[in-house]
Amino acid sequence: MDILGNLAHGFSVALSFSNLLFALIGALIGTAIGVLPGIGPVATISLLLPITFGQPATTAIIMLAGIYYGAQYGGSTTAILLNLPGEISSVVTTLEGYKMARNGRAGAALATSALSSFFAGTVATVVVAGSGPLLTSVALSFGPADYFSLMLLGLIISAVLAQGSVIKSIGMVVFGVALGLVGTDVQTGQQRFTFGIPELSDGISFVALAMGMFGIAEIVLNLEKPEARSVLKTEVGSLWLTREEFRRATPSTLRGTLVGTVLGILPGGGAALSSFGSYMMERKVSKHRNLFGTGAIEGVAGPEAANNAAAQTSFIPLLTLGIPANAVMALMVGALIIQGIQPGPRMVEAQPDLFWGLIASMWIGNVMLLVINLPMIGMWVKLLQVPYKFLYPAILVFCCIGAYSVNNNVFDVYSTVLFAVFGYMCNKLKLEPAPMLIGFVLGPMMEEHLRRAMLLSRGDVMVFLERPISASMLAIGAIALIAMLLPNLRKGKEAALSG
Amino acid sequence: MKINAKDVASGLLLILIAAVGLWLNGDHSLGSARRMGPGYMPMLVFWFQVVLGGIVLVMAFFNGPDPLEKWTGLDASMLVIAVIVGTLVGFAAPHLSSFFDNSYGSLGLGMLAGFLVVSYARGWRLLGFICAAMCAFCLLLEKGGLMLALAATIGIASMAEPEHRARPLGVLGITVFLLALCWWIFIKQLDIRVAVWPLQY
Amino acid sequence: MLPRRAWLAGGAVFAALPSIACAQASAWPTQPIRLVVPFAPGGTTDLAARLVSQGLGMRLGQPVIVENRPGAGATLASAQVAQAAPDGLTLLVSNIASHGVAPSLYRNLRYDPVRDFTHIALLLETPSVFVAQPRFPARGIADVVRLSRDMPRGIDIASSGTGSSNHLLIVQFGQVTGARVNHVPYRGAGPAMTDVIADVVPMMSDSLPSSAGHLRAGAVRGMAIASTARHPAFPELPSFREQGVDLVASSWFGLSAPAGLPPAITGRLSREVAAVLADAALQHRFAELGGTVGALSPPAYAEFIAGEVARWAPVVQASGAQVE
Repeated sequence: MDILGNLAHGFSVALSFSNLLFALIGALIGTAIGVLPGIGPVATISLLLPITFGQPATTAIIMLAGIYYGAQYGGSTTAILLNLPGEISSVVTTLEGYKMARNGRAGAALATSALSSFFAGTVATVVVAGSGPLLTSVALSFGPADYFSLMLLGLIISAVLAQGSVIKSIGMVVFGVALGLVGTDVQTGQQRFTFGIPELSDGISFVALAMGMFGIAEIVLNLEKPEARSVLKTEVGSLWLTREEFRRATPSTLRGTLVGTVLGILPGGGAALSSFGSYMMERKVSKHRNLFGTGAIEGVAGPEAANNAAAQTSFIPLLTLGIPANAVMALMVGALIIQGIQPGPRMVEAQPDLFWGLIASMWIGNVMLLVINLPMIGMWVKLLQVPYKFLYPAILVFCCIGAYSVNNNVFDVYSTVLFAVFGYMCNKLKLEPAPMLIGFVLGPMMEEHLRRAMLLSRGDVMVFLERPISASMLAIGAIALIAMLLPNLRKGKEAALSG
Repeated sequence: MKINAKDVASGLLLILIAAVGLWLNGDHSLGSARRMGPGYMPMLVFWFQVVLGGIVLVMAFFNGPDPLEKWTGLDASMLVIAVIVGTLVGFAAPHLSSFFDNSYGSLGLGMLAGFLVVSYARGWRLLGFICAAMCAFCLLLEKGGLMLALAATIGIASMAEPEHRARPLGVLGITVFLLALCWWIFIKQLDIRVAVWPLQY
Repeated sequence: MLPRRAWLAGGAVFAALPSIACAQASAWPTQPIRLVVPFAPGGTTDLAARLVSQGLGMRLGQPVIVENRPGAGATLASAQVAQAAPDGLTLLVSNIASHGVAPSLYRNLRYDPVRDFTHIALLLETPSVFVAQPRFPARGIADVVRLSRDMPRGIDIASSGTGSSNHLLIVQFGQVTGARVNHVPYRGAGPAMTDVIADVVPMMSDSLPSSAGHLRAGAVRGMAIASTARHPAFPELPSFREQGVDLVASSWFGLSAPAGLPPAITGRLSREVAAVLADAALQHRFAELGGTVGALSPPAYAEFIAGEVARWAPVVQASGAQVE
């Protein structure tokens, strides 16, 4: 069967009444939990796993997938409205999205997010359908040395996220990497920087870190500045995109889709890199790069497209190799096994209904999400008109419950408190939290791949230069670093001379 | 002089954290380039952080001025007192009641006391009350149940807002509304694994 | 950071309190039962625990609710359950990581795997396997041993993590055969399997459930299975013993409760679990997972655990892994 025939078959599966219904339920639940800080798709899918026992496998997977990409849509909502990123991909959305909301363009930011996500989702679905097996070989050609160089490149470009001093941002990236090293060393099993606290042996909770540094610290800062709160209250502005905004967002969406589609295929780290890879690209390529940091629509459109595209293409390793690329995919594997389906390379032939039905339902789910989300923008924006004194206790309790429910452990809530204090301090010192979070996520992966590469090459450093993928990543990184530092140093010199 | 006080503090903070990290990293073996030990990467990372902190510190003397916010004498002294009180309470907690005997109860009580004390200073009030509210949530959640924990959290958090302090009835309204909302979302819909009412487990 | 010890010790006081809720066995269970799974949802242990909990809940007349508390190699949840009240309302999925390997691996383990629990039943055993990249020249275990001696620094074998039972099997393999092995640890079986398929690492030590799909599809080639006989689902896969290597190892997990569970409750649970495990549909599901249903009485399971602790202690020591 050719691709069109397969897709037609997929649509015939996905358009059955029960599959449509469960795709809708999944998308709705996903949107809802994406909006709740801390309650992520992992927690929800694991709670709903038992419900799927009684359903046919295809229906179950369609619903769970709906929760997953629904949560991607919902997660941007809190990032834009409340500066509360639920996962690494929405950290980037806070940078410009929250600024846009403060400028009274919350509606436009949300609409951009929904539209560019939809566009990227559509493209990525076609890619998954058309060249999934082909792209698998790309993912398999990445060795540990290549991953290390990719992560290093990611860290270098993450310093570009900086809105203030580049050196300070690199400092925060490095500190983020250090925080990421807390916990059990993968190679030796030794505990590092855990102070004998068993909860720390699996590392610091990302949710605690992100919520504390962004969400809770933001509550305190907002309460401190009554004038900032009044901005939130009064100037809401038009809900829809202006023609100018639409024109600016379109090329960014296209570029973001490309970045996300490619990076999403790489298991582990790929999806995390995609949204800020796109942000970096926009900052360098976009015509309005001078507006970045003040609420540039390009900085919402690109990363949102990228993370949604990556969310779709991250199904490729699962569907073609049977290997989960992240925690959500691991749960999908669990759901399949419970159904008696062994995920593996033969799934495409053995379960055509499941494979093509899921792909078709991904697109249908994206349509549903667009239909659900666009009318809801008005409602979300109204939320900003709720006086902050009523809003902040709600954000606070949602954060508490969210942080607790990740591991059912109060330790994570205490960590959130400590990171809130640290985040508050960083704000006062003009230290950027976003680069730190990216260092936190990529650092441990980078270490793992570095050490594995050295272990396999028997200590030969040349492995990083001999492999073409790794070498080109390092070359790009070096160029980016030079391009970034030169103007900065020049500026510093000018400042020194004029001072 | 155009000293950037924020950057001076940032540079010192980065260097201080890295120094502590390097000191703690003394326990971990460095290994060789082929089989890197657990201490290898932290060593690289922290030394790099020291260098960056140093650059930030040096550059701070040229790109200012950017002063820090003013601390009052009360802000500084309450911070010291809060740390002392928090530590003492943390140590004393296990002797006070078996209520604080598990799940970091002593830590929580110590932190709660510290944050409440520091809230006495105007400069710390908002941060102090918000953090204290979260500590109360943790302390009460497992034995007191979700409803009690949330009520305490909202009560303490509302102290951060002068308008709430003036109108306790309004706070009661918010509390009732949020309790109902959280019950509906987290217990009724999501069914998260947590005690809802006191002494459930 | 001094009160830390105090916080850690705090739980013990709570455990020492008389268990108020200790109801009569005839009335038990009057409330829903919590079944603590010390791993993240979605893994083999979690799935099998959910399958068992459904049947168990039906037979007991109270829901058995699975609660995932992952962390610290399954020791976090085990320590918590060890300190819970022995009222039959908190149960634990005990397993090879927390009750077999951890006592030797963790220097400061906060529980005794035998004395601090009432062990009720073994639920599932899944054999370990060695799988290889299809292009890897070795045809059997003897080839692997010979090849490894020719390689200047030994043969690379991946595992799901340092201190995991799969890692320890590699160590034991080296001890038994004299092969020169270079352990390459990963964060879980998935990434390790990716690198075997991508030919980054030629071989991997894995549990059968996570390898089964790849074996069936031919993405990897089975070298040997560490069970006493061949597995019915993989009749072509020879065992280590057949190839002259005395290596038998499996991942296992079972049902346990805090120490001091009233014998009446233990007996009831043991009977009900046996009935649940006897169900043909459940056995079929377990077989699909690549495992076999365990059937051990409470004392036999406790003895089994003590045996596993003793068995892995020297291997852990040889592996050099040690966790503070």
